[in-house]
Amino acid sequence: MSRRAILDGGTYYHAEALHGRRYRGCFGEILYAPELTAEHLSDVGLLIVPDRTAPAILRAKRPLLLDVLHRGGTLVVFAETGAAAWAPNVSWHFSPVNFWWWRHDEPPPPVALRAAGHSLFRHLSLADCVWHHHGSLAAPSGATPLVTLGETEPAPCLIYEDRVSSAGRLIVSTLDPFYHHGSHFMPAATRFLDGFARWAEEDWKS
Amino acid sequence: MRPSCLVLECEQTEGGHTILLRSPALGRRVDAIPMHELGRADLSRYRGLLLGLHCDQRHLAARREQLEAYLAGGGTIVFCGHLAYPFVTGMERYRVIPNYRVDDLRVRKERPHAVWEGVAEDDMTFRRGVAGFYGRGHNPPPAGAEVINTLGPARVPVDWEWRPRAGGRVLVHAGADLWMYLETEGTAARLAPQLLDWIDAGSAA
Repeated sequence: MSRRAILDGGTYYHAEALHGRRYRGCFGEILYAPELTAEHLSDVGLLIVPDRTAPAILRAKRPLLLDVLHRGGTLVVFAETGAAAWAPNVSWHFSPVNFWWWRHDEPPPPVALRAAGHSLFRHLSLADCVWHHHGSLAAPSGATPLVTLGETEPAPCLIYEDRVSSAGRLIVSTLDPFYHHGSHFMPAATRFLDGFARWAEEDWKS
Repeated sequence: MRPSCLVLECEQTEGGHTILLRSPALGRRVDAIPMHELGRADLSRYRGLLLGLHCDQRHLAARREQLEAYLAGGGTIVFCGHLAYPFVTGMERYRVIPNYRVDDLRVRKERPHAVWEGVAEDDMTFRRGVAGFYGRGHNPPPAGAEVINTLGPARVPVDWEWRPRAGGRVLVHAGADLWMYLETEGTAARLAPQLLDWIDAGSAA
């Protein structure tokens, strides 16, 4: 059976979210991103890149990350990782973060759950995906939008799954749950990681 | 003018670094290098080193010798964030306020400090009505540190200044980058320029 692993960017919120009590061991082996080698990933079938892992490091490690996809593995990439510069067909659009909507009687972001049959949503509800987002993604042709802003076509994505741009599976998101959970600053982000951890366990075993 | 401060760039699209670097008044006073090129930097050229909340602290801890030598040479380190990997001897890991409520997050000024001069407590406590950006816990102050601001009735030391025996100055803020407030409305926007002035003034301030 292949292994699963998660990158550690060395930040305080990665320390809390990956090495802290709640999720310790939940995401597989923890690999310090700046020291990542091909040997570390030799039989890794599921690799998670948490939000805010340094884009400069990920660009430098690009061949290793792409190799996971080339071998048919799964790469899950969260927000603020500069993925458009190193992952296939990622198109990211900036929009300013609205972190105050819930304090000012503003409507919540129009987040919509798509592809309700996807395995991720056996473990996550739509509410678990709503706090704010860091820009949006244009899903490449043939990819599956999972969580979008509104339901127009094509809707900007907060999470999509791409099985067409490589031999593997690339899941990309503009959510930053590791930062918020690891900063003790967003209950929804913790609920998201609870569900995501269960999905990662199930997906790896399947 | 030659920039007197160095910031380690972590390429996060929103938040402090970008705001600081593109400010006409302040950006020219600050140099930026990629986070992981710290080892190649000649820190002796700078009066201040700004370490923000997105720093790779494992890398900082691995560069402890360089950072302590910089302090011993009279440098000033400003650290914002939660300390997970202590990178200067005497500093300890962050502690969150358990089950905090809004009242636990209210900022209280404990002593005057040039960086916080004229900054209102409420402008630190709230950002667009949301409390908690400023701090939700503390990095324990070492013996001899001077506590500047605290949080809530428990008076949790969220900001402090410390002069290590070996030399230099360390200013610690257990929350979002102080320079992030530059584009906010209200008196918290004074933090960044006053921080750079305080660094430039050196230990005589």
